[in-house]
Amino acid sequence: MIAIRNARIVTVSGPVLAKGTVVVRNGLIEAVGENVAVPADATVVEGDGLTVYPGLIDALSTVGIPGAAPAATAGRGGRGGAATPATPAVNPLAAAAPAARSMGPEDRPQTTSWVIAADEIQPTDRRIETVRAGGITTAVTFPTRGIFGGQGSIIDLGAEEKAGAMVVESPVGQYIALGRGGFGGGMGGGFPGALMGVIAYVRQVYLDADHYKLVKEAYAKNPRGMERPQYDRALEGVIDSKRILLPANRLVEIDRMIHFAAELRQPTILYGMHEAYRPEAAELLKKAGLPVLVSLHWPTPPAGPDVHLDEESMRQLETYDQAPAAAAALQKAGVKFAFYSDGVDAPRDLQRAVKRALDAGLTREQALRALTLTPAEIYGVADRLGSIEKGKIGNLVVTKGDIFENSTRVEVVIVDGKKYTPASDSSGGRGMTAEAPGGEQ
Amino acid sequence: MRTKIVAALAAALLALPLCAETIVIRNATIMTVTHGTVKGSIVVKDGKIADIGEKVMEPAGASIIDAGGQYVIPGIIDCHSHIAVDGGVNEGSVSVSSMVDIKDVINPEDISIYRALAGGVTSANILHGSANSIGGQTLVLKMRWGKSAEQMIFEGATPGIKFALGENPKRAGNPAGGRGATGTTVQARYPATRMGVEDTIREAFTEAKAYKAEWDAYNAAVARGEHPIPPRKDLKLEPLKEVLEGKRYVHCHSYRADEILMLIRVADEFGFKVRTFQHVLEGYKVAKEIAAHGAGGSTFSDWWDYKVEAADAIPYNAYLMMKNGVISSLNSDDAELMRHLNTEAAKTMKYGGATETEALAMVTLNPARQLGIDKRVGSIDVGKDADLVIYDKYPLSDYAKVQKVLIDGAVYFDRDKEVSAQAAKMAEKEKLVEKLKQQQQAQGGRGGRGGRGQ
Amino acid sequence: MKFAGLLLTCALAFAGHIAWAGANDTVFIRNADVYPVTAAPMKGVSVLIQDGKIAEIGAKLTPPKGVRIVDAKGLRVYPGFIDSATNLGLAEISAVRETVDTGELGEFMPQLFALHSVNPESEHFGVVRVNGVTSAITLPGQGGGGGGRGGGRGQFISGKAALIHTNGWTWEDMSISADAAIQLNFPSLGGRGGRGGEIPPEVAQMLGMETGGGANARRTYEEGIAKINQFFDDARHYKAAKDAHTPGLKTDLKLEAMIPVLERKVPVAVSAATVDTMKDAIKFADKQGIRIVIMGPRELGDVGPELKKRDIPVVLGRVLALPEHEDDSYDSAMALANQFYKAGVKFSFGTFNNEFVRNLPFEAAAAAGFGLPQEEALKAITINPAQIWSKANELGSVEKGKVADLIVTNGDPLEIQTKIERLYIKGQEVPLTNKQTRLFEKYSARQ
Repeated sequence: MIAIRNARIVTVSGPVLAKGTVVVRNGLIEAVGENVAVPADATVVEGDGLTVYPGLIDALSTVGIPGAAPAATAGRGGRGGAATPATPAVNPLAAAAPAARSMGPEDRPQTTSWVIAADEIQPTDRRIETVRAGGITTAVTFPTRGIFGGQGSIIDLGAEEKAGAMVVESPVGQYIALGRGGFGGGMGGGFPGALMGVIAYVRQVYLDADHYKLVKEAYAKNPRGMERPQYDRALEGVIDSKRILLPANRLVEIDRMIHFAAELRQPTILYGMHEAYRPEAAELLKKAGLPVLVSLHWPTPPAGPDVHLDEESMRQLETYDQAPAAAAALQKAGVKFAFYSDGVDAPRDLQRAVKRALDAGLTREQALRALTLTPAEIYGVADRLGSIEKGKIGNLVVTKGDIFENSTRVEVVIVDGKKYTPASDSSGGRGMTAEAPGGEQ
Repeated sequence: MRTKIVAALAAALLALPLCAETIVIRNATIMTVTHGTVKGSIVVKDGKIADIGEKVMEPAGASIIDAGGQYVIPGIIDCHSHIAVDGGVNEGSVSVSSMVDIKDVINPEDISIYRALAGGVTSANILHGSANSIGGQTLVLKMRWGKSAEQMIFEGATPGIKFALGENPKRAGNPAGGRGATGTTVQARYPATRMGVEDTIREAFTEAKAYKAEWDAYNAAVARGEHPIPPRKDLKLEPLKEVLEGKRYVHCHSYRADEILMLIRVADEFGFKVRTFQHVLEGYKVAKEIAAHGAGGSTFSDWWDYKVEAADAIPYNAYLMMKNGVISSLNSDDAELMRHLNTEAAKTMKYGGATETEALAMVTLNPARQLGIDKRVGSIDVGKDADLVIYDKYPLSDYAKVQKVLIDGAVYFDRDKEVSAQAAKMAEKEKLVEKLKQQQQAQGGRGGRGGRGQ
Repeated sequence: MKFAGLLLTCALAFAGHIAWAGANDTVFIRNADVYPVTAAPMKGVSVLIQDGKIAEIGAKLTPPKGVRIVDAKGLRVYPGFIDSATNLGLAEISAVRETVDTGELGEFMPQLFALHSVNPESEHFGVVRVNGVTSAITLPGQGGGGGGRGGGRGQFISGKAALIHTNGWTWEDMSISADAAIQLNFPSLGGRGGRGGEIPPEVAQMLGMETGGGANARRTYEEGIAKINQFFDDARHYKAAKDAHTPGLKTDLKLEAMIPVLERKVPVAVSAATVDTMKDAIKFADKQGIRIVIMGPRELGDVGPELKKRDIPVVLGRVLALPEHEDDSYDSAMALANQFYKAGVKFSFGTFNNEFVRNLPFEAAAAAGFGLPQEEALKAITINPAQIWSKANELGSVEKGKVADLIVTNGDPLEIQTKIERLYIKGQEVPLTNKQTRLFEKYSARQ
């Protein structure tokens, strides 16, 4: 049991408490308020001069699955949406990928829709510690390889022996990536080789899933005399998914995916959002009513003596300049959005990235919400996570100074009621050590 | 502040299109295509051509475009284009890629659209590439620069599908030396010969016929009040079923006379029609058969000898096909060539001796007929869409250039505005480049971690 | 339509009597409107072609006895067109490597004669003559692609470009200049990948260039320039040794080939698309004391005065081309020629691709449409290239004493509808038939 006493508490769900106390017991928030009594047997953290926030939630991550590349964002801005798909790293999931070249949608190319992140979590993934040092207590982790990457799970980033102890909610949705030129290279590579091939494939999968359900239901009702439906694990993986994630960076892609989501009739979250700073984008998203995930990996112009920035298109240059304004634009338009790290793991980098959004017009409160309660809402776990309220999971970040300030140090991170301290390192971001085991709860 | 300037510039450039305005184009030499040349004016109202004549009644409050000394032709229609496509124009991985649809990947911000506009193109048939015997689904767009992908679609135009015969589908799956475009080793993909190309098409349509029979049976059962489980919807076979039902046009990339004839016979056998043969460089050799089948021919004006199957290409192709009763058009298949289809058309006057009207029809009324959109576009007739191009000189001359382009009665390209805006645009860009460079320096050159964004 | 057929039949009938039947390079063209290019047009004059040369031009000429008379009333006479960058005779079908003879292996190959590999029977010649092209520079650099990019990659000097007529019995017969220029592929600091950096793809292909870009672009670029300078220095040493009659000096064919360049008798045709590359090329030329012609510039920027000061001419690539960058003015390629003209830089047009040579006059017309004065457009495909390739005493205008490379037209030959009625090369009339007209004839007759 831990009590943080006399600290400034930013609950997110309610007004800021200038001086208050939070008590965490059995991994849950037992009490929070200005006049909360500190139990005698609690480990006390003196909160004078400190601020307590809800633990940050990374709305789309691969942390916990070691060796996985960061979530692939389709097209790092710019015309033609040119980007290489995430390099498939050495990955335990690789064994599942078919070795033969795909000859069509029936081969279910680049598909591991049945893989659930919770089943793949390895508590020894070093990134868990790294990102926790920056205040991230919860990650919505997805397997992200291929077109249908698999199903995500919400995990708390504590130092656990068993992966199962980390899982908060699973599965929470299907991760879909579209690449740019498809997967496999087109001419000579397997299907699909072009973006339109990938889209056609996804479309076929959902048509097949609907048909599969129909046939299964009919068979279940009366199998006699009926040919049994062929088991298809790819379809099993997408049926009854709570939601799907589709990539969209450029305005053109956002428009495209909004239409695609409507066609697939799946609850959809769009991720990426490089061009969401454009008013048309925010408008379209508002009308469609889709929540989005904004990548914190802002597109950056290349540097170097032979780089001719003026040879890039105006649209591309604008994106470099304006991408961080996406958050403020979405906020203004009333679009529900959360941030995700997109590979920006080091705490300092993450903080710098958020700072750019603040500089571009987002308020601190809005930024904080986009890293706490909003992602919880998007994934349907706002009853358990995302704010400092009695009964919610005990995930907290304690800082000296405003969490988004350059000079701020993360003093303490609490995950599921366990206390962690960042390694004493002035950069504040290299790693954390857990307190000696036993007794913090 | 900068955003305001950009917005203002954007607004200025996109003030075209002026929406649904009434416009009078005055004092021009109007080449109607369908009823000769008229020296006079055109009245545009509600996006349509309302009146044409030597003297017209100019509605009060109409915007006047003084086209004195200038020429007006119908908006040019390019029957073969690959612009405005994201993420690859070919799904070359499989022999039959009819499940893919160009409509899914239209990029309305492709600068090629604007450049085509500046060359007088108002509509284009956007096609899948030629890597497959049976390729993907296709559609017609209007070059409505500034609009969304959906808003660019030519409403009501029959959708199409791309076939390809000859060297390209053979080569795409079987490159020389077994190495693909990216240098990686390539597993051979059927077909490797023209015989195999025919076989691929026959196989696909045999499958499609069976698929259609399944669905027909299902629909009949439902009509009888039964509730069977529907057959699985197969995206590959759906468009082929539509071809059999006459609901989808076949646009077939083809070169040699033998393969053109082959497809005509296969189509006859399976009971469908080829809508257009594209490129069809040896079309002149089998023009009779093409005409008898009822297909159109859309070809290049004079490109030849870039591969073996183009060795017998002649610049008289369009003319000869036309003479034999084939609806013939000239296309570009190229983002640059599409900017001067007017002069490509003029070449039929040189090679063969087409009349001025026949030449102009090659890039206006004829492609409109081929695409089934001639009720709406392709000539300057009252009631048709106001898709018009104004040239400063005789349009069938290389000395001429496009001054203005209207689509649906709105000005989408204005050369004067374009030229005068260029300097300011460049200044804007320079400022932004400076700003970004400074930002980079401030960050100590930390930038460059990914985000190369090409 | 019937008329065209009739005319064609007459032309063919005539053809039977001309050219193939044996050389006849004397003819009297009567009563034409002559457009000399170097002087004002002359209406209603006659031209006497004798022994392959323009012997007389005048209003009141009488034809010598027995000379064939061509009545040209209502028709015009122009000099034949000259394309300053092609692969004519060296490449037949660009996709088929076996038919492509440009782009040999080797970094420095100035000793290669493009001329001696020209196939006089190439179908392309007949096709380009129809629109008035009577001579062309044919380049040894890689063109057409072929099946995989064979030799020529990483090549600096491709060989000796030749100036040839577009008709003749042998390459010897067709030769105007066996050594018109040494083709040098100057290294390029490619732009950011995508469309092959700064050089337009067809130019890059034709000149056998590595399209730049990549992490070590700058280093590769500088190494390239250093290599080229080294080679020229080697050539200079060789020449000095030769001039000094150094005993035991082994003949080096490559360095021998460089001697006329060092003596400024033969220019170097240098590919350079961007302003920066042009500036480096100029620096290089200054350093080596050689004459250069810039091939395929895509922009002018501020390098005009430098070019003008040194009288460095350029060969512009295709006028009908896309802009380099997304934000460039849509007509940047069409308006380029006029920029060079205004800067006082001498330029000619080259199509850099066999398949577009027949459209040379129409490319020139397009440049005129976008600002270039019409007379300049015509000069850029007649007298200018003649001057650039040092054959202005023989070609490029209708003047007494020059070689009779002429076209007789029914109007402005830069207009598409204009028909070239007759074409003369070295005074001999060449029939305007080719593979394409023969196929047209054949299939016109199909019932």
